[in-house]
Amino acid sequence: MAEYVNKRTNRGAFAGQTPFVRLQGISKHFGKVRANHEINLDIRPGMIKALLGENGAGKSTLMSILSGRFQQTSGDIYVDGNLTSFASPKDAIKAGIGMVYQHFMLVESMTVAQNVLLGQEKAFLVSPKEQEKEVAALAEQYGLPIDPAATVSSLSMGEKQRVEILKLLYRDSRVLILDEPTAVLTPTETEQLFEAMWRMADQGKSLVFISHKLKEVMAVADEVAILRKGEIVDEFKESDVPNETVLANRMVGRDVELSLDAQPVEPGATVLDVQGLDGDGLEEIMLSVRKGEIVAIAGVAGNGQKELVEVICGLRKPIKGDVSILGLEWHDFYPRPPRKGRSLAYIPEDRQGLATCKFVDLVDNFLLTTRHSFTTGPFLNRSKAVDTTVDIVEQFNVQPGHIDADARSLSGGNLQKLVIGREFYRQPDIIVAENPTQGLDISATEEVWQRLLEVRNRAGILLITSELNEALQLADRIAVMYRGRIIDQFPKSDTKKVDAIGLMMAGVTPE
Amino acid sequence: MGLELIIPILAATIQSGTPILYATLGEMLTERSGVLNLGVEGMMIFGAFFAFLVSHYTGSPWLAFACAGILAGLFGLAHAVVCLVFQGNQVVSGLALTILGVGLADFLGTPYVGLSADGFSPFSVPLLSSLPVLGDIFFKQDALVYLSYFLPFLFWFFMNRTKWGLAVGAAGENPAACFAAGLNPVKLRWAGIFFGGVLCGLGGAYLSLAYTHLWTNNMTAGRGWIAVALVIFAFWRPGRAMFGAYLFGGIMAFQLRLQAVGATLPSSLLLMLPYALTIIVLLFSSARGKGRQAPAALGVNIEPGE
Repeated sequence: MAEYVNKRTNRGAFAGQTPFVRLQGISKHFGKVRANHEINLDIRPGMIKALLGENGAGKSTLMSILSGRFQQTSGDIYVDGNLTSFASPKDAIKAGIGMVYQHFMLVESMTVAQNVLLGQEKAFLVSPKEQEKEVAALAEQYGLPIDPAATVSSLSMGEKQRVEILKLLYRDSRVLILDEPTAVLTPTETEQLFEAMWRMADQGKSLVFISHKLKEVMAVADEVAILRKGEIVDEFKESDVPNETVLANRMVGRDVELSLDAQPVEPGATVLDVQGLDGDGLEEIMLSVRKGEIVAIAGVAGNGQKELVEVICGLRKPIKGDVSILGLEWHDFYPRPPRKGRSLAYIPEDRQGLATCKFVDLVDNFLLTTRHSFTTGPFLNRSKAVDTTVDIVEQFNVQPGHIDADARSLSGGNLQKLVIGREFYRQPDIIVAENPTQGLDISATEEVWQRLLEVRNRAGILLITSELNEALQLADRIAVMYRGRIIDQFPKSDTKKVDAIGLMMAGVTPE
Repeated sequence: MGLELIIPILAATIQSGTPILYATLGEMLTERSGVLNLGVEGMMIFGAFFAFLVSHYTGSPWLAFACAGILAGLFGLAHAVVCLVFQGNQVVSGLALTILGVGLADFLGTPYVGLSADGFSPFSVPLLSSLPVLGDIFFKQDALVYLSYFLPFLFWFFMNRTKWGLAVGAAGENPAACFAAGLNPVKLRWAGIFFGGVLCGLGGAYLSLAYTHLWTNNMTAGRGWIAVALVIFAFWRPGRAMFGAYLFGGIMAFQLRLQAVGATLPSSLLLMLPYALTIIVLLFSSARGKGRQAPAALGVNIEPGE
């Protein structure tokens, strides 16, 4: 795994200046729920402040107050030492506080420059050339490489994020809040983002980095504040940021097993066999998964993992090569996989789009892939489905456990637990899990990992992950993908190869 | 010999295509702002009737033309109230607007059926009209046709080169992003619906002021629906709208001419041609690709508090 080297050049150059923003005794209540309690926080120029906390710790509420979307129940906000109140996001933007949301707010059909300047155009008539020049200059100043004339829909996630940042910079924001900015980025893009963050901080901007990825927080932040149950439980200044384990403990308030003890299981019959799969950007893929083992596909996103998964899960026809699933040829298994008995379960990366329907309740979401177990002829036994959903929700600790709530009301982690519960209910023989812990907090990640290890006793698992640590924690065998090819595959016990995974992910085949 | 036959048909093509062009650009503007308005037919006939009425009593075609646009735009605001204030269903509201407009024009217009009004007559553009072939087709028309030649370009320029146009486009693509940029997408959609309605009304006015100089019932005869289909055919781009409008104008002119020369085909079959073409055109333009998509937020209401 790439270690990040902090490239700040003038950290401390702005020390001693008045904080841009000071939060004093901020509390926020939603009815009886206490989302934030007596929070004190200084946001200082030239500093990168990390805000660590689990899902539901109150990070988002706090930042929504800071960006003007919510008003605090009590407490004061000082901007440049003056007491201020924000009635709307507009006020916060005016005060120089801007937020990069996890879900980008961009007009996809417009160019980068048009997006950056939207609503900020100086004259009635607009010259694309002038706009692009202006944006290019801004991008140059902060080290955010981007083509200002490109249409946003053609950009990668990382580039879209840069456009969001440029929007804020163009509006002269001094405080930039980044909400889980690396969740959608490839490792290279993450590094580029960090470099841009350092550069912005070097030029006197202050940044708030919201994350639960400890490694990244350690690498990028100057100061760390830890939020738990709506309160700041700890704050560390640049010199005394402790190590990862300490941070993790403070964050969840108990010891987390960040490393698992995965005892191998005796492998059984082959459940998935891919021989010489070619086309759609894939090249000569050879891969097999047996019952009782977890095979991890490691690699930077966008190197053919998506295409491979789509073929295996029946979303895409194999162009050339043989794919056999549970002993059946691809064309015999799809498009109508056997309903009862031996089955394949797919846990997609896109939990909200592909795995669930936002606007229907948990029971109907549960039935999406399991309805055959509850039907007699054309009739659905709904009360049985309701009972089973209640069981699943309980067994997999889905919070809050109201089964008549819409799926969209669940947080990412809880939605994932529901999806996993649903897919496990089908008693699959093979499970394809695509970045199953992306965007999840530590305790949810741990739960998902435990579930995957448990189910290994009766199924084979193909795990696609862009988190190397996840592959190392769970897998029995690891295959590294690069540009549509599997560069190498080896058991986890092969320490020499495991050490070289980073190189392989960059396309270098070690001898 | 051939040319003598074709040139009048092509000149008639431009005439039949012009009202469709106005209406198509109107609906396109509304849809680019994110609102689907199926009331085009209603707004067109509303405009056609009031254009006739104003001209009939005042004798001023220009005043009639302007009134038709403004009144049709105001009429279209009923759709804005339903969709933007009450977040009602855009399809239902648009259909209601069409039914209301057609009914109202029929009801109010009955006493005037067959009466005439002053309108626009063709005049030759100096120099340009003496161009061989092209002059006869394009430059011996009326003032409203000449005006329509500039419209697609103005439309493009407005949407791509002005602050307001870009803002309207953003409201149709991603209202949340538009709001986050400090703009008000709801206001922009009000404007999109109003000015779209104005253009539809102007298209209707062409029918009673220039295409004919009189009032008859059901004057628009489905042209509003053709305009709705053409917006899709044109992939929401004004240049293609011009091409599409003249394509349909051509079919209409052609079938009239065929009827006139007494073709043996049944006239109902000929009358069907434009509508059959509408379906065919929609079939072919359903192949979507890059740069062919509808505005991303088309037909999606803006919920308050978002």
